[in-house]
Amino acid sequence: MILEAKHINKYFTEPERHQVLHDVSLSISEGELVSVFGESGSGKSTLLYILSTLDTDFYGDLTIYNQEIKGLTATGLTDFRNKHIGFVYQFHYLLPEFNVLQNVMLPAMKLSLKSKKEIESDALSLLEEVGMKSFAKRPAYQLSGGQQQRVAIARALINNPSLIVADEPTGNLDQKNSELIFELLKEITGSKNKAVVIATHNSKIYHNSDRSIEMIDGVVRL
Amino acid sequence: MSKTVYTKTNTFIALQYLFARKKQSFLAMIGVLLGVTTFIVMINFMTGVNDFLDDAVFSGSPDIIIGKDVKKSNSLLGQGSFLENYDKIDLFLEEQQNIKAFAHQTISPAILISNSKQFPGSINGVFADEERLMVDLERRLIAGEGFQSLSKENTILIGISLAKRLDVSVGDSINMILPNGKNKRLIVAGIFSFGITTIDNVRTYVSAKTIQNLLGYTNKITNIHIKLKDRNNVDVKNDLIQKFDGITTEDWKDSNKTIVIGNKVRDILTWSVSFALLLVAGFGIYNILNITVIQKRKDIAVLKTIGYSSNDIVFIFLIQSIIIGVLGAFFGVLLGYGMCYVISTTPLDTSDFIIVETYPINFKLWFYILGFLFGVLTTIFAGYFPSRKASKVDPVTIIRGI
Ligand SMILES: Nc1ncnc2c1ncn2[C@@H]1O[C@H](COP(=O)(O)OP(=O)(O)O)[C@@H](O)[C@H]1O
Ligand SMILES: [Mg+2]
Repeated sequence: MILEAKHINKYFTEPERHQVLHDVSLSISEGELVSVFGESGSGKSTLLYILSTLDTDFYGDLTIYNQEIKGLTATGLTDFRNKHIGFVYQFHYLLPEFNVLQNVMLPAMKLSLKSKKEIESDALSLLEEVGMKSFAKRPAYQLSGGQQQRVAIARALINNPSLIVADEPTGNLDQKNSELIFELLKEITGSKNKAVVIATHNSKIYHNSDRSIEMIDGVVRL
Repeated sequence: MSKTVYTKTNTFIALQYLFARKKQSFLAMIGVLLGVTTFIVMINFMTGVNDFLDDAVFSGSPDIIIGKDVKKSNSLLGQGSFLENYDKIDLFLEEQQNIKAFAHQTISPAILISNSKQFPGSINGVFADEERLMVDLERRLIAGEGFQSLSKENTILIGISLAKRLDVSVGDSINMILPNGKNKRLIVAGIFSFGITTIDNVRTYVSAKTIQNLLGYTNKITNIHIKLKDRNNVDVKNDLIQKFDGITTEDWKDSNKTIVIGNKVRDILTWSVSFALLLVAGFGIYNILNITVIQKRKDIAVLKTIGYSSNDIVFIFLIQSIIIGVLGAFFGVLLGYGMCYVISTTPLDTSDFIIVETYPINFKLWFYILGFLFGVLTTIFAGYFPSRKASKVDPVTIIRGI
């Protein structure tokens, strides 16, 4: 078991206190691609931010890789995220001041377990896997949306995390690119034995996942 | 487990941001550079002038002057100007802790007449052995000899400007006429320059014996000059007034009001102008970083999600302003030194006030260090608040896209 969430309840206080997640429980194992499917506003992103440890302001228990998330300090949390979780966003969010290769290397340089040379060769082989090796020295802002998303996947993988969280990774892409990205994520799940969680309202992804969870107004329908 | 934030990676990221905004970074650096240069040039120049004047004044003048209170005497000349019972004052002065030395003077109005010109003024009759402790004349001599030449009793030492006015040089003779009509031929034995016109235009020294003999009063004196150990403690002045009737006292602050005020004005000017410039430079950096932080909120959020902590973010932004500050301060110090050097070699037309060949300017290492520190501290201070702001960016809010 890589991730175990029990009885997650989430409230927002703006504009007034209201509940967005109702008693969500969910567990994910290695090599499993789980999609969270639901309409816009149903609480998918909110759940994913919690599962990826970005949001710790919730009720319930979350354990990832045998670590009780609520027991971590702020820096402990950042370090944990750095090591164990890769994140892919709907809008690709590469850093435009850096080239493609540097973008992929950034999380590993923070972790600094390997030498710069090793990190660079890791990054290059990941870029090769996502089909972006020839763009390695390009500035990130020159890439198309689909290309940026592929680089973002390489970046999410650089520290070899156990969990990849992707919030509508294809939401902003055309059909062809969407399929390409989904295939990549599937491949990662299979070959690298990682757990992948994808939030989506794309029914193709819903049907092609190992397991799908449907969310309606913050409630998981099994 | 607080990891160190001074990592190569964080520095690399900071540099990347700096280079992405080359022009603004450069301008910010120029701002710091100008502030530091101005500070260094101004403080060295202003304190140079201050030190120069202080030196001229304090090495050329006593700290306290005791004279006869002429308001209480009946005649301006002769008997009336002499200090009575000065042996009692001497005894009192000898007991004082804060007094380094004192010297007696017999000062008289006189007219000096050279071959072509004449000058009405006041002649200082001094005792060479005592006066040596009041005035460092040897260092100021331009030609001839110092106080020791006064032992001949027919010699006179005069300031450079006065010598020019009278058109005399060492070895020439001058006729001195006293108010009682007596006159004496004196040989110019030495010419000195203190560098300020208030001294060089008017000061003369002859032997006190000479004046006393001409006036017909042996052993009478008109003034006592005092050098203090601690110049800023002039308490002895009040003690003197209380203890002795019919005397006036004047301390160095009274006699050099314009210089004392001038020094203060120059100090204030230096600090306020430098402060203003560094403030502007600091504000420039603050502004640039603030705008960057606002523009880069997304990037900061991404850095946070991929494992960079708040402290890393503070460092990444703070180091940018520190780099700007250190570079600006470094080149500011270099430029400041260059300008000080140029000023120190610039010939100066003798003004009404100062007589020097080039501008007086200090080369104090401490001022360069201070300028550098000011530059760097300003940027650290200016960079701190935007950096803190950056570290507070909440990744969830940003990534959600609201
Ligand atoms: N910061 C917030 N403050 C208040 N309400 C929020 C906030 N973020 C999201 N919500 C609300 O929570 C609900 C779920 O949003 P979200 O998780 O983004 O849904 P999804 O990703 O499925 O579209 C929505 O009704 C949304 O308006
Ligand atoms: Mg969403």
